[in-house]
Amino acid sequence: MKIVHSWLKDYLGDNLPAAEKVEELLNTYAFEVEGIEKVEEEEVIDVDILPNRASDCLCHRGIARELATILGVSLVSDPLKESTDLPVTDKIQIRIADHEACPRFTASLISGIEVKDSPEWLQKRLRALGQRPINNIVDATNYVMYAIGQPIHAYDADLFPQEDGKWKIAVRFAEENETVSLLSEGGKDEERIVELDGSELLIVDESTNVPVGLAGVKGGKYAGVHSGTTNIIIEAAHFHPIVTRKTARRLGIVIEASKRFENEPSRKLPPYAQKEIVKLITDIAGGECEGVVDKFVQKKEPLKVIVTVARINSLLGLSLRNDEVRNILLRTGSIITDIKEGVFEIIGPFERTDLNIEEDYIEEVGRIHGLSSIESVEPTFIEVPEINPRQYYGDKVRIALMNIGFTEVITSTFQKKGKLQLKNSLASDKSYLRSSLVNNLNAVLDANYAHVDLLALADVRVFEIGTVFSHEVGKVSEKVVLTLGARTKGNGYNPKDDKVLKEGMASVAEALGKDLDWQIEKGVAELDLSAALKDLPTPIAYIPLLSQVPAAYKTISQYPAIARDVALWVGESENPKSVISTLTRSAGELCVRQTLFDTFTKGGRTSYAFRLVFQAEERTLTDLEINAVMQNIYQTAEEKGWEVR
Amino acid sequence: METKKGHQHPITYMISEINAIFSEIGYTFAEGPEAETEYYNFDRLNFPINHPARDMQDTFWFKNKDVQEPTVLRTHTSPVQARYMENSEPPIRIIVPGKVFRNEATDATHEAQFYQLEGLCVAKGVHLGHLKGILEHFFSKFFSGKTEIRFRPGFFPFVEPGVEVDMKLLEGESKLAGKWIEVMGAGMVHPNVLSASGIDPMEYSGFAFGMGIDRLGVMKYGVEDIRDYYTGDLRFVNQF
Repeated sequence: MKIVHSWLKDYLGDNLPAAEKVEELLNTYAFEVEGIEKVEEEEVIDVDILPNRASDCLCHRGIARELATILGVSLVSDPLKESTDLPVTDKIQIRIADHEACPRFTASLISGIEVKDSPEWLQKRLRALGQRPINNIVDATNYVMYAIGQPIHAYDADLFPQEDGKWKIAVRFAEENETVSLLSEGGKDEERIVELDGSELLIVDESTNVPVGLAGVKGGKYAGVHSGTTNIIIEAAHFHPIVTRKTARRLGIVIEASKRFENEPSRKLPPYAQKEIVKLITDIAGGECEGVVDKFVQKKEPLKVIVTVARINSLLGLSLRNDEVRNILLRTGSIITDIKEGVFEIIGPFERTDLNIEEDYIEEVGRIHGLSSIESVEPTFIEVPEINPRQYYGDKVRIALMNIGFTEVITSTFQKKGKLQLKNSLASDKSYLRSSLVNNLNAVLDANYAHVDLLALADVRVFEIGTVFSHEVGKVSEKVVLTLGARTKGNGYNPKDDKVLKEGMASVAEALGKDLDWQIEKGVAELDLSAALKDLPTPIAYIPLLSQVPAAYKTISQYPAIARDVALWVGESENPKSVISTLTRSAGELCVRQTLFDTFTKGGRTSYAFRLVFQAEERTLTDLEINAVMQNIYQTAEEKGWEVR
Repeated sequence: METKKGHQHPITYMISEINAIFSEIGYTFAEGPEAETEYYNFDRLNFPINHPARDMQDTFWFKNKDVQEPTVLRTHTSPVQARYMENSEPPIRIIVPGKVFRNEATDATHEAQFYQLEGLCVAKGVHLGHLKGILEHFFSKFFSGKTEIRFRPGFFPFVEPGVEVDMKLLEGESKLAGKWIEVMGAGMVHPNVLSASGIDPMEYSGFAFGMGIDRLGVMKYGVEDIRDYYTGDLRFVNQF
């Protein structure tokens, strides 16, 4: 939610701190601030409102109230403390078909207005929020929403038919295949016809039974305010959060209004919004309010919550005194009644629909007092009551396999094809769940064989311990499998792979101390680890952590590597390490790996064969380029008196 | 070329490391299913029936014909809290490292599958100070240097009060040292969550915390793209 700093002054007066201070206070005591930006001369604070506070803080008054609580001051002006008295009109009739879906609907009639541009101060505030000013009426509805959080809609009363001298507004669910013509995005003029499935709540002109808008989601084109409008009906209502959200999501219309209804602002808000907007419109567009009508059926009684100081302290780990707690709760605007020493009965401010149980107030006390005053209690060292067999035996298997060159991988749970398809998926090639790791490991083997030179490996050996899924009728089951894979040659499976695989299976059998039932398929073997662990002895202590000191992590270059071999005759006394460092220096930084793979001595000379691997971070190397590097290496060798074989 | 030792995947290595730190202070390594019912994944954790996390846009759902009750790929390791609590008596101390799933577009910091670490402690007299102490202990060991913890207000349906947790490594040469970093969400277990598991919230209290293990690796090792964890690319794993 974007907050215009100077706007907060309307409510906080001289108690408003500078924008940077507001940022600091909100960060510490309430909400994370994403940043402050300047729009024209206005400082705009981007506040990340927590989900439980979207009911009262998606507006400037809400943030001002929060700051007042944090600072321990009162608001100099509070629209939610004003009287909501307006004359009553019988010219508007409201009929609500479902009071669950629409517990409250208010409408006011203002006559004799003049549609024109909003005054500059108002336009400026809307622009600071990234909103495009349209005209004084539409701007006023938006302004009041940003001020106190109540979405509002305006209709041209003269375009809205009357029956028996009355405007008849109904709120009802849509019928299947009914359509509504909506205002298009950004107030543009073209029409958007939406087909309905019956789950949407509609505002309807009862005289003609024509839908005039999707309740809480989007106003209709019907009876829209235009440049010649002189009489208006203003709607401020409360719609059910789930109904609003479902419609908004299904139709892909998530706008400022629906976002607020979804978060269930207080049902007491609409009359305050009427009062505010009538004041604003008569100010900036002239006219006179003929009256308001308020249909409010599903009232909610204010919640009384018992809060005890002892429990506050016991959950927060603080030792606050009764008067400190009382003072903090008073700052939130709550009404407090003493029940007995250290026990209060609290009624929260009506707009705080998030305050429902004792723990909600405990959170208020904790954060307003300051979470930084909570002191840490050091944990005590106690014996762990049980050892997780999968973790214990998993580590045992890992160590055994790593000792013979197997590396652990984790692959995707999602697959392109399979037996168990999800209802929804990220992409069409990720809509099935794996029922085995075999395919994944085959892909890993194929992809990695290309990197054996770069990684200085003789072959590729991998394993994964992971969950796989299967399903019978009406039931999904899962188990953990251990899968090994080996690849000794470049073009797919080779019978030699099985030899390496056997080694791997033997080491797992040894680690688990039992014969195992593997499914073997062309260089990949899979074991039902969940089943294999069932009859193993209960472990009594975890395996001490292996030490693992990774080198500084480097992002993988996605460009192919080129390998070249070089064999040299050098003096018998020459140390291979100094040979390699000479070659590396000469090869330059493109040479990412040097491996000695062959050594023999004959006639007082030693032959060393090295494999050099070249790779660039941001491009594909060419043979030509590497030929030049190799020439350089040969020259260096010759200068050293080494013979290139 | 001789066969060299293989490498352990950084995620499972971090899990072993996390377990080593927590088992010393009495935390049991608990686990639960990856295909989880809506009941355990959401209802039991006090997610309102209309909570956006339940949407198809956020969560992977199984087809109705394949399951007896609505089932998802678990979106967090928190359902294990509920499962464990209903089968145990306090004091309860568990960690739950495990794979979780979110239906969200992937990029260098988001994956549809990732690993999460859940922690839960329920006993008499447990408060936010205990949570702070445990987290300072854990991060100091995990990042090999004295670490300070800071709470900020936060909100998660299954805790109340809820906090966001920042950490600051006070010493060492690490790039992390000396600055506050947002690391996890935590709080006191919501009384509805305790009650639903048959634990009396007036007698017992508890804290819970949850964080991404993938992100711990980003911080500890400097991994730049979390998708690299799940490609099976040995050019990645062999660096560890």
